Amino acid sequence: MSIVKTENLSKVYNPDTVPVHALKDVTLSFEQGEFTSVVGPSGSGKTTLLNMIGGLDKPTSGSVEIDGFVITGLKDSKLIDFRLNNIGFVFQHYNLIPVFTAFENVSFIMLLQKRDKKELKQRAEELLKAVGLGDRMDAIPSKMSGGQQQRVAVARALASEPKFILADEPTANLDSEAAMNLLDIMEVMNRDKNITFIFSTHDQRVIDRARRVITMVDGAIYSDEVKEVALVNN
Amino acid sequence: MKTILIIAWRNIWRHPARSGVLLAAVIAGLWAGVVTVGTMNGLLQQRVDYVIDSELAHVQIHHPEFLAERRPGDYIPGHQQIFDWLGNDDRVKAFSPRTMADGMIQSPLKTSGVRIRGIDVPMETQTTTFHNHLTEGDYLNAGTRNPILLGKALADDHKMEIGDRVVLFFEDTSGELTSVAFNIAGFFNSASTDYDQRNVLVRSSDLMPLLAGYTHYHEIAISLHGDANPAQVAADLNAAFQGIEAETWRELSPELNTLVELGGVMLYIVTIVIMLALAFGILNTMLMALFERMREIGMLMSIGMSRSRVFMMILIESIILTLGGALAGMLLAWGSIYHLSGSGVNFGMFADGIAELGWDHMIYPVLSMPEYITILGLVVFVTMISSLYPAIKAIRINPLEAAKQV
Ligand SMILES: Nc1ncnc2c1ncn2[C@@H]1O[C@H](COP(=O)(O)OP(=O)(O)OP(=O)(O)O)[C@@H](O)[C@H]1O
Ligand SMILES: [Mg+2]
Repeated sequence: MSIVKTENLSKVYNPDTVPVHALKDVTLSFEQGEFTSVVGPSGSGKTTLLNMIGGLDKPTSGSVEIDGFVITGLKDSKLIDFRLNNIGFVFQHYNLIPVFTAFENVSFIMLLQKRDKKELKQRAEELLKAVGLGDRMDAIPSKMSGGQQQRVAVARALASEPKFILADEPTANLDSEAAMNLLDIMEVMNRDKNITFIFSTHDQRVIDRARRVITMVDGAIYSDEVKEVALVNN
Repeated sequence: MKTILIIAWRNIWRHPARSGVLLAAVIAGLWAGVVTVGTMNGLLQQRVDYVIDSELAHVQIHHPEFLAERRPGDYIPGHQQIFDWLGNDDRVKAFSPRTMADGMIQSPLKTSGVRIRGIDVPMETQTTTFHNHLTEGDYLNAGTRNPILLGKALADDHKMEIGDRVVLFFEDTSGELTSVAFNIAGFFNSASTDYDQRNVLVRSSDLMPLLAGYTHYHEIAISLHGDANPAQVAADLNAAFQGIEAETWRELSPELNTLVELGGVMLYIVTIVIMLALAFGILNTMLMALFERMREIGMLMSIGMSRSRVFMMILIESIILTLGGALAGMLLAWGSIYHLSGSGVNFGMFADGIAELGWDHMIYPVLSMPEYITILGLVVFVTMISSLYPAIKAIRINPLEAAKQV
């Protein structure tokens, strides 16, 4: 069964004034363990699509189903809860709570999930080590580089044990070394733990790392390719 | 919950200067407000005590019609039983019977209307502090026949000296006009010039025979021990005796009662004004803090922080900040008032003006426990209200809109 399915998903912004058709009849599905990049020119609807899948925005028509559960039409408060327990998010920026350390940022989401305290501490430490920040656990975001902050965000997204991780341009604010480093970590998580990643990007080198590339133009799917070669690299 | 508390706490110290200024403002505002109210209260209390101590006392007994009609014949029936009752009641500190007449005072210069108050000097001395107002002469215990005390103001009007003789005219209980000569034994200078011009003091033992051939009193002033309730004593007296009316100082002196009530109203007004100013400060600071953190709150809601938790986070932040400041301010105020209630505040620079009105230049601020609790209640209320607004604003944030803010 698909982990994410969209059915004729459309989104029209400002329907009453100057309508913008940001998504047009998008039907897609994503499987467990995918490492997928959504690409396309600026304004093509990548963010809009990711927001729909992530339950952050509501479609004008069509539906989104996550792991067999239709989230379209859920109440706001139900959606927040759903996001907490099912979807991991990595944003382009402002990912972290500035007054919390890396460790606290990762623990926080598990506290929201009301997890056992001991398990939570251990898990946060493990995840921060896994993203290469074992020695930066007590640093607050402003004392970390952009790349380190994004890695904390990945650790945070993983901490909640989501069904998949959505990342809208996670590398846009990073230099290429940090971007590749972040991709390395995402790839390892994908390969070793079978974590599903769906991310948008403009960066060709990031696109090259994806195993499936969905190209959008003008709010519609232009192409959807699966690259078998990517696996051979390792 | 603990985590939310930690976030709130750290967020407060994210801008130490801003939070510090707000905290300082809340502390200073509350401190100033409470001390002001305390001082005002002290002033009123002093005024009330002054009037009660110097003449009014806590409870007075009269013939039910005496205060309205002032007929010499409306004296207190069965005063001896009342004296016995008062002498046996633990709540009564002292009492003083008075015989009174309204009449005229005549000097060679002119004639003025006066109230003649006949007192029993030893009893009056135990009951009131009127003797403190004596500026010259002694308290009617001179060997002279028919001694009289005049207000300094009245004596000046008549250009009278100690030892001079004046004539009093008044009606006796049978309605006959009587005139008797009295010798000036001293002067008093009380709170009010008006009082000094309209009242003269004589011994009741001198006045009584001139009014009637038997012992009779028109007024009994009763001073109580500190913790006794005047209203209760008055009620007990009214229940125990027929043909009299016992009233408390609040009933006897509506002006004084109004003054006390005014003090209560002022307490509310000052507190509310201060709290309003604080509320705006709180709102302003919290909205500023909120505006800066729109994206962050949007992010928190995106990753799954529920609105109720966001609400609590912001609410707790403002509550810690303001209630913390308010409590500190109140504690400081309490300390100041405690200290000042011992040492007093010297208003000596205005002393001339206020002494004329019978006010002391030393004011001892006081605030009772219920008043502290009232202020605290208002503070908590205003804090809650002004903290709710930013919190409500926070949960209205749309995560997607917030993410777009630059
Ligand atoms: N809130 C909104 N109101 C109106 N129009 C919007 C809104 N959000 C997005 N759009 C419009 O919808 C279209 C798709 O926007 P979207 O942000 O999804 O593009 P994108 O592919 O993510 O672009 P970028 O690469 O620049 O991030 C654009 O034309 C955009 O202007
Ligand atoms: Mg975008």
